[in-house]
Amino acid sequence: MQKSLIYTLFRNDNLTRWRDRLRAEAGLVANPVEHLQIVYYDSFDWRLYAAGKTLTEVRSADGVELRLLRLVDQGIEAVVPVDMTAQRFFPSGLPVGELRQQLESLLEMRALLPLATLRVRRYTLHEEDREGKTRARVHLEAVSLVDASGKRRLLQKRLCLQPLRGYTRIAQGIGKKLEQDYRLQKVEDELYRQALAAAGKQPGDYSDKLDIQLQGDMRADAAVRQVLLTLFAVMQANEAGTIADLDSEFLHDFRVAVRRTRSALGELKHVFPPSTRQRFKREFAWLGALTGNVRDLDVYLLKFDAYRAAIPARLRNDLEPLRTFLQYKQRQEQSQQLAVQLRGRRYRKLKQQWQRYLESPLAKRPTARDAARPVDKVAHERTWRMYKRALKEGMAITADSPPTELHELRKSCKKLRYLMEFFQSLYPPGKIRASIKELKQLQDNLGDFQDLDVQISSLRHFAMEMRRRGEYSVATGKAMDALLTALDTHLHQARDEFESRFARFAGDSNQAHFKSLFHPAEDGGAA
Amino acid sequence: MITIACYNLKGGVGKTASAVNLAYLAAQGGASTLVWDLDPQGAASFYFRIKPRIKGGTSGLFQRKRELDAVIKATDYPRLDLIPADFSYRNMDLLLEQQRKPGTRLRKLIKPLRSEYHFLFLDCPPSISLVSENIFAASDVLLVPTIPTTLSLRTLQQLVEFCDTEQYRHLKVIPFFSMVDRRKNLHREIVDQRDGVLKNAPLNYIPYASEVEQMGVRRAPVDTYAHASWAARAYREMWLELQPTLLALNRGGWQPQPARR
Repeated sequence: MQKSLIYTLFRNDNLTRWRDRLRAEAGLVANPVEHLQIVYYDSFDWRLYAAGKTLTEVRSADGVELRLLRLVDQGIEAVVPVDMTAQRFFPSGLPVGELRQQLESLLEMRALLPLATLRVRRYTLHEEDREGKTRARVHLEAVSLVDASGKRRLLQKRLCLQPLRGYTRIAQGIGKKLEQDYRLQKVEDELYRQALAAAGKQPGDYSDKLDIQLQGDMRADAAVRQVLLTLFAVMQANEAGTIADLDSEFLHDFRVAVRRTRSALGELKHVFPPSTRQRFKREFAWLGALTGNVRDLDVYLLKFDAYRAAIPARLRNDLEPLRTFLQYKQRQEQSQQLAVQLRGRRYRKLKQQWQRYLESPLAKRPTARDAARPVDKVAHERTWRMYKRALKEGMAITADSPPTELHELRKSCKKLRYLMEFFQSLYPPGKIRASIKELKQLQDNLGDFQDLDVQISSLRHFAMEMRRRGEYSVATGKAMDALLTALDTHLHQARDEFESRFARFAGDSNQAHFKSLFHPAEDGGAA
Repeated sequence: MITIACYNLKGGVGKTASAVNLAYLAAQGGASTLVWDLDPQGAASFYFRIKPRIKGGTSGLFQRKRELDAVIKATDYPRLDLIPADFSYRNMDLLLEQQRKPGTRLRKLIKPLRSEYHFLFLDCPPSISLVSENIFAASDVLLVPTIPTTLSLRTLQQLVEFCDTEQYRHLKVIPFFSMVDRRKNLHREIVDQRDGVLKNAPLNYIPYASEVEQMGVRRAPVDTYAHASWAARAYREMWLELQPTLLALNRGGWQPQPARR
């Protein structure tokens, strides 16, 4: 379809008067008035926006249509008629087709959530030749935003001139008339931006990446509070979605923020007064444990298709009872434990006290050793210390080492990663990113190993539970045995790969790189 | 892009009606769709109220003076475009003869459209000639509307045999019953038996119905003015029934989408 040309009308313009005028003076044919509802959708973390797209649901008398639009020119990438009206949905629930394919690859596991709802009153006129063939269309639109309470607020009135392929000259003629006779101004299509702004939404305002800007000479306690406030904001942003279980990533991001907070409390301990630190460490540990079960179940469900793919095709359908079981358990844990506790007193108190602490004035003469020191010194020290610990732990691992040792190393690497991310802004961007990337290579391997190890024992446990509940047939048993065998093979592969990954991480050039970033003093002689 | 040719050696069997109605349903289902009215009679162009004329005529296209892209016209329906007929198409055979590799000219011509459209419907003239050979070479699916009479079945048999060669191995021939009049004993018998070449034909058939004939007066796809009619429903069912076959062709990013109810 050709791109529509947009002209703004005055807010107090009368659309029917415009319609009558265009009919009389431009020889256009008027059609009955239409009422459309347009809902913009994106994921919580703006994945469509980040890809330069948006999804709209357009409801008219003809039915409901989902349209994937390019933001740059509002061009339609793909369309599918649907018959659903869900407030939240996943691409996997859509009819098979191009639109679903595109959405699935952009969104992965994230749900689509409504951003803004518009109502459009639309008068359409068209130009036709003697055969009755339409050669151009003009839409006169009054666009209103519908707020949460259902109230409408007029956003804009506009005229859209739609050229048709093979007849663009006709539209050009109409456009000329609009501009010369009626003095209308052609503008860019700003509806998406306008609608979202009116609905109080800021595209791209949430990302799971940390971006904390610190200055090296800040007091360490002030800088760490800034880090913690950022993490606290992430937690709160994901809280409602976690409670409502809109998709698995709310809980995931919530949990990561909690884990990062715990890591800060643990690894930057001399920045906090000891009693405060102990209290919050305990409370955040509780929060971490509370969210663990559901996340594990989410992970199994997210991996389920991979599980199916890992076993012979003829056994795949026999694995489905496991999915049903996992879904049941996930729902139960989510609604009976997690959601209840996140609405409960202990969590509310934790939030209040945490906020109060983070916003309290800094002590003039803090008792904690590192509190008043410049943050860059503290960051160097703590990161370097954690790096050395990871190296030491890794060096001690041999082919015969038990899984627990890899697990310990994994935890150290995670803490190291968090420290590097908290203080990223204190280091040259290219260098810190490169070292994070190196660390990630090792972390991925350790993560795979650990996850597989846990999954294997959990699945064994689930098998027993399913048997108790009478959901474990011989066929399902076979399928799960095949899955366990496959996971065990992957586990060994990950274990075998560890040595080379670690060798690279601990290699001379990488060590020099880390040293230059976090421990430059010895060579330079300063400080 | 999936290229679907509505073809039959015989005329007046419902080729144009099938091309127009199925293309309309494809577009309604979200696919960007193009119809090429290859018949110099220009019936498809007439149904869409588009003048049966292309600038430069057939020779302009073959001599690359004019890209196919430049002669495309939007219909009155979203996502549905048309390449109009032109009276010079009647000489297409002669023009093709003068080209290098005359058997695959059409395929070459439509190649640039592949990324733009999910479907190309070719509304073919009734003949078997160099033009039809071009159509066979350019198409993925040959939809053959067939009236359930003895002679029609014989013609169909001939066509199936003609296409059963190495050269047209890519071509999926799908005959279906068209203009079925259940008041006639012979029609009923042939449709119910579904013998021989029609064994795997779609279960749905297009009835002989005045709603389809009305297309000439209404100049629009049946679904737009007689949505609830038997004929409109038959086209919808037919389109749905064809989806798995089209999906199996696995062309580009397209996957079937349901037509709007």
